[in-house]
Amino acid sequence: MNVLGIESSCDETSVAVISDDKLTANLISSQDFHSKYGGVVPELSSRAHLQIVIPLLKDALAKSNLELKDIDIICATAGPGLIGALLVGLTFAKGLAYSLNKKFIAVNHIEGHIFSGFLMEEKPEFPFLALVVSGGHTLLLLVKDFMNIKKLGSTVDDAAGEAFDKVSKMLGLGYPGGPKIQQFALRGNEDKINFPVADLRNSFNFSFSGLKTSVLRYIQKNFSGEKIPENDLNDIAASFQKAVVKALIKNAEKALSEFEVKSICLVGGVAANKSLRNAVIILGERFNKKVVIPGMEFCGDNAAMIAFRGQKLFENGITSSLDASPFPGLSDDIFS
Amino acid sequence: MNFPFTKKVFTEDDTINLAGEFVNYISSGDVIVLNGNLGAGKTFFIKHTLKIFGVNNVTSPTFAIVNEYSGKFKVFHFDFYRVNNVSELFDIGINDYFNDDSVVIFIEWGNLIPVILPKKRFEVNITLNDDLSRDFNFIKYE
Repeated sequence: MNVLGIESSCDETSVAVISDDKLTANLISSQDFHSKYGGVVPELSSRAHLQIVIPLLKDALAKSNLELKDIDIICATAGPGLIGALLVGLTFAKGLAYSLNKKFIAVNHIEGHIFSGFLMEEKPEFPFLALVVSGGHTLLLLVKDFMNIKKLGSTVDDAAGEAFDKVSKMLGLGYPGGPKIQQFALRGNEDKINFPVADLRNSFNFSFSGLKTSVLRYIQKNFSGEKIPENDLNDIAASFQKAVVKALIKNAEKALSEFEVKSICLVGGVAANKSLRNAVIILGERFNKKVVIPGMEFCGDNAAMIAFRGQKLFENGITSSLDASPFPGLSDDIFS
Repeated sequence: MNFPFTKKVFTEDDTINLAGEFVNYISSGDVIVLNGNLGAGKTFFIKHTLKIFGVNNVTSPTFAIVNEYSGKFKVFHFDFYRVNNVSELFDIGINDYFNDDSVVIFIEWGNLIPVILPKKRFEVNITLNDDLSRDFNFIKYE
């Protein structure tokens, strides 16, 4: 079976092909397509997705030695994300499915992330605990099987990745914040400053807004308006990173004590952070659980995870009608 | 609340009370712009304003650019922090969002793209002071 996946929920456009359970292409626009396909396209626009989706599709098919007619099912992200961006990928996929008379499957982007560990050679075992951390989302979920997901907690304000970006901006380190903070943190003392970790009692929810504000306070108090010396930058980055990791691990640990699982999956863009990866690996060792963390190309937004999730839905008898609409947000009662 | 209206707050509860007072002036079709630095408490203020409308899932839209909620009104919650220029806003279809009179629109970091802001709007400017207090300044533009 040949599965086509299309992802356009936010900044990246991505097209992937899974052919007989093997990933044969996973092309992502942020790689070097902007230069390849002519001119500078705005980072944040539906037009950028429009310009890039067809070239990506052609390349993905060529890379897989397939033609459009060989595709059996077509999967696209329906949400959550930016409505204009989602519309491009979703409408394109529906048009393809209609014209080729193939099955169409609308995929939830978060479910794509949740199962992205299955794109690795070492796969998660059910039931597993999934920690989804990205620029837009922070969720802790209990995954019993492909059709059974239960949300334990999510952020009540900022996402973990957003906290990285904003603190990076406060420190003048630039965007994207994750890699910058990680780089400076490597040379810093993570125990130098004790930034608070939000304690939302009796829940698995997260909060990163207070942490962000306390970093700002620290900077204002100690360096009001002045340039922050390099040593201090390193220490602030390291101490902040430690606080984020601690907050994430704390709830994961609580979940492991309460629920019986076989493995732990760390997924989403922030799963690229080495300190967090290490902390999850150590947590897995302590609780004697298998840990699966996708490789870098499957951490950020990608269509491989959309194709994989779509195929699993199809195998469980789920397809979508061609009037499926995009949805911008996760409703409060999803995964309940 | 007589606009322009200024108030100094010291605690989260003060801010929640202030949100509860401000909410009485909002009706469908309104646009509320919030300005203030990182950590000023823009999202926090919106979260507690919308709680009164029965919306309980307010989170930061920085990454998504716009969140949508439904409660007493349908709400679009924008954040221009990550937006580079006005053409990006046109590209995401901002006119379609703005042309809907049945919704309430909140815009964080509206001052970054002032040219797009409608003439008729509320502005909430939040300043974070060194003594941990916050100054809220409400302005109504007709």
